[in-house]
Amino acid sequence: MSERSTWSAPAELAQLERKLWMIGGAGALLSILGALLDRAQAVQSYLVAWLLWAGVAFGCFAVMVLHHLSRGGWGLMVRRVFEAATKTMPLLAILFVPVLLGLPHLYSWADPEAVAASEYLQQKTNYLNASFFTLRFVAYFVILGGLGWLICRRSLEQDATGDPRLARRMQRLAGPSLGIYVLVATLAAVDWIMSLDPLWYSSLFGVYFVGGHGVSAFAFVILAALWLSKRQPMSRVFTHRHFHDYGKLLFAFVMLWAYFALSQLLIIWSGNLAEEITWYFERIQGGWKYLGMALGLLHFGLPFLLLLSRNLKRDARRLAIVAALLLVLRWVDLYWQVGPAFHHGGLALHWLDLTTVVGLGGIWLAAVARFLGRHSLLPINDPHLEEALPGD
Amino acid sequence: MEYARKVGLYGLIAEFDTSDRLIHAAEQTRADGYRKLDAYTPYPIEEVSEALGHHGSRLPLLVLIGGILGALGGFGLQYWVSVIAYPLNIGGRPLNSWIAFVPVTFESTVLLAALAAVLGMLALNGLPKPYHPVFNAERFALASRDRYFLCIEAEDEKFDREATESFLQGLDPIGVYEVEN
Amino acid sequence: MSVDDRMVPHKPAVIAPGHTSATVSDQIGEIVFRKTPRWWYFAFGGSFVLVMLLLMALTKLLVEGTGIWGLNNPVGWGFAIINFVWWIGIGHAGTLISAILLLLRQEWRTSINRFAEAMTLFAVACAGLYPLIHVGRPWLAYWLLPYPNTMGMWPQFRSPLVWDVFAVSTYATVSLLFWYVGLIPDLATLRDRSRSPLKQKIYGMLAMGWRGSAAHWHNYETAYLLLAGLATPLVVSVHTVVSFDFAVGQLPGWHATIFPPYFVAGAIFAGFAMVLTLAIPLRAVFNLHDFITIRHIQNMCKVMLATGLIVAYGYLVEIFMAWYSGHWLEQFMILNRITGPYRYHWWALILCNILVVQLLWIRRVRTNPVTAWIIAMFVNVGMWLERFVIVVTSLHRDFLPSSWGMYSGTFWDWATFIGSIGLFLALLFLFLRFLPMISIFEMRTILPKGESKS
Repeated sequence: MSERSTWSAPAELAQLERKLWMIGGAGALLSILGALLDRAQAVQSYLVAWLLWAGVAFGCFAVMVLHHLSRGGWGLMVRRVFEAATKTMPLLAILFVPVLLGLPHLYSWADPEAVAASEYLQQKTNYLNASFFTLRFVAYFVILGGLGWLICRRSLEQDATGDPRLARRMQRLAGPSLGIYVLVATLAAVDWIMSLDPLWYSSLFGVYFVGGHGVSAFAFVILAALWLSKRQPMSRVFTHRHFHDYGKLLFAFVMLWAYFALSQLLIIWSGNLAEEITWYFERIQGGWKYLGMALGLLHFGLPFLLLLSRNLKRDARRLAIVAALLLVLRWVDLYWQVGPAFHHGGLALHWLDLTTVVGLGGIWLAAVARFLGRHSLLPINDPHLEEALPGD
Repeated sequence: MEYARKVGLYGLIAEFDTSDRLIHAAEQTRADGYRKLDAYTPYPIEEVSEALGHHGSRLPLLVLIGGILGALGGFGLQYWVSVIAYPLNIGGRPLNSWIAFVPVTFESTVLLAALAAVLGMLALNGLPKPYHPVFNAERFALASRDRYFLCIEAEDEKFDREATESFLQGLDPIGVYEVEN
Repeated sequence: MSVDDRMVPHKPAVIAPGHTSATVSDQIGEIVFRKTPRWWYFAFGGSFVLVMLLLMALTKLLVEGTGIWGLNNPVGWGFAIINFVWWIGIGHAGTLISAILLLLRQEWRTSINRFAEAMTLFAVACAGLYPLIHVGRPWLAYWLLPYPNTMGMWPQFRSPLVWDVFAVSTYATVSLLFWYVGLIPDLATLRDRSRSPLKQKIYGMLAMGWRGSAAHWHNYETAYLLLAGLATPLVVSVHTVVSFDFAVGQLPGWHATIFPPYFVAGAIFAGFAMVLTLAIPLRAVFNLHDFITIRHIQNMCKVMLATGLIVAYGYLVEIFMAWYSGHWLEQFMILNRITGPYRYHWWALILCNILVVQLLWIRRVRTNPVTAWIIAMFVNVGMWLERFVIVVTSLHRDFLPSSWGMYSGTFWDWATFIGSIGLFLALLFLFLRFLPMISIFEMRTILPKGESKS
């Protein structure tokens, strides 16, 4: 058990990584081509794609921290996946550059003409302006990336030295990290999504963003765990019980997400104030309405009913189908939040929406695979590991 | 069997001092071919239920039915009241304001599901039951403290006053007692 | 999740060593059969005097009407709603401890869940009183229910006040069921242990003929888990609906989308504070140190710290959003809270709910029953102030300055409030006297030997 080499990644991981780089590269090339044709559309599509994959990474960071905080056995089997995703934060920060370059195509507060025309926007430019936006963006990534780096480093140190104090140290770091993450995510949600409609505000929005991260992270981790559980060496240790735990947590986050979504909708719908309801009003115009309905049915209704079943949660393959569905719906959710800011009249899907999400996804997943392959797939010296493994 | 009925014997009950002995005894008794038997313990022990062959429960299904009825009933009530029986214009909202109907629908779902869980549990267990012969056994009061009991009922095909008693005695109990009807 | 508790050997135990199934049954059951201690008469008597005060206040109310309270225009919602929310918040910990911690397989919940569930019921009873008397004509309160009547009228289901009726009554029913189902095996224990025929009859009837059959336990455990699964979202929904009472309106200070999660967190925060407030003295008086250990106190403090931070997040986001929104009414509302005529309430609430609670980061503070109790008392006060601030400061500055006003509770407001605390305590003392305050059968399952799983 303590032999490190026995838990190194399977050879297929490197092959997978190569494939992912190719997919990512192809998607990126097509997207760049698209950007030459229609720059505004390209950055608009790209923002949604970036939010999706960054959301998975943020979610993995938060869940990793939660795992250290609660010292739950559930997280040990996939801790390295969380860590690999967390380590992509610098890459994600670099990949945000296209958004920063295209700010005026995205945010009306970054468009001098729009600001000059609107008194409301002028009031908000103290906070919503390109340089402060960039500064905040850098701060978010420095803070979360730094915390993630600290925790991941301790985790690897634990592999090397087996120092029992490290678990406690990670736990101590985890509490404040979780709090900081929620604050950062709240501000980031305001910056990246809410300010697309600079007049709109909702104090629940940050938590809603966080709930989405939780769904993304667990959906992703279930898929990663399924892949790992099919191959040596992890196939020896993954059991139904682990998937049951992930299924329960995914279920909890699906309900939480729905709870936030419904609370926000119900309060704004009931208040019916002009400055708030317009946000929803735009999102039920034309085709957007169907996306909204799809969110209710497929991001909550169907997964909720399926995940009620204990047998489904214990069956890795069927659970992974639900997880994959939810990951797709995560994109739909973000697209439904972002898209109407650019297409007021109705749904306007573009081929760039697909190429950006595939391209960025390929690159991001390849990076995760690369980080995952570098270290033992299990935190072999964690004091709780014995109990998380199936009894021999 | 005939004999047992005549003297009004409900069965024979064995008392054990540890749960492990009871689990062992329950497994042995089942293996020996006895079917009409029950164990009495001060707290739930999964292994005993398993040893006695209690698998699954119809309760989750009852709760699901309760929940579905609650959801349909709750939403149906609101729809009927707000759209059909007493339509009112409230701030220009549509008569079928489904968004506003979510909270009450949720509450009625939970209420009926919870009632189904509790009443269903009682019904499946045949409770409340004012009289049960097993209470006639000596020392049975300890079943709610720290002792573990296994009762083989006289109804069992294989039941025989003498043979069953010696069988039970062989399972290392504290004692074996008669249970009168 | 399943493994974390069992596998950490260095954590302090949830039950003192040396106990067996018999000693647990005897020591907890004994409290019910022992001769009533003298202090109990004083404690119950004291609370009963307060119940009399409540009855007096209610009589006065029924005779004269809500004019005896401090309500006015613009502050049409005063103590009644503040106390309602305060009590119902306290009532959240019981079901939370019972349900969520059961689902998370946190064994330490076992020593405190029974008593916390009882606390929930009594708190919900006190909470339910307020909307009932606030309707002005309580004898017509049943009009809130949907039933066919000669007036041909039906409730208005778009109103959160109707949702409240459903949420609170469902919560009361399900909490009662949960509590009673948990009690059945213990009632059987009491029936079998008591020597007086009358007590045997009463406990026997309440136990419904429970005999601990393996087949029964099987269904029982399934039912208990299902109830826990149902109660968990229910707890969340109840305080969410309470928050909707405010949030679906348009009043700045009430109309905030963050209200649902932030109210729920506040309710858990307040509930755990009240559990600590009661559990720490009880463990001393009834000598329950073996069952309610320092680990329980520490864990409850951790939950309080976590939920306290969520509440702090709620305050922060409200302030940030008011600023970010650029909406002058929102901004005025926040400034009025912090610097207006009720600023002392607001600052006191920040002190009680946020600043003092940060002491719980220190291990020594949360493992010491005295300091933990003092902090819990701060939270009890702080959460009442929070509701006062939300209700009063949002209302008293109406949209038109000509309609501005001030609010304070009258003698009768305070008499009703203090009287309801008396009612809560009186019910609690009755419970402690006649029912086992710790779940005996569940304690048996967490005994080192009792856990006979291979």
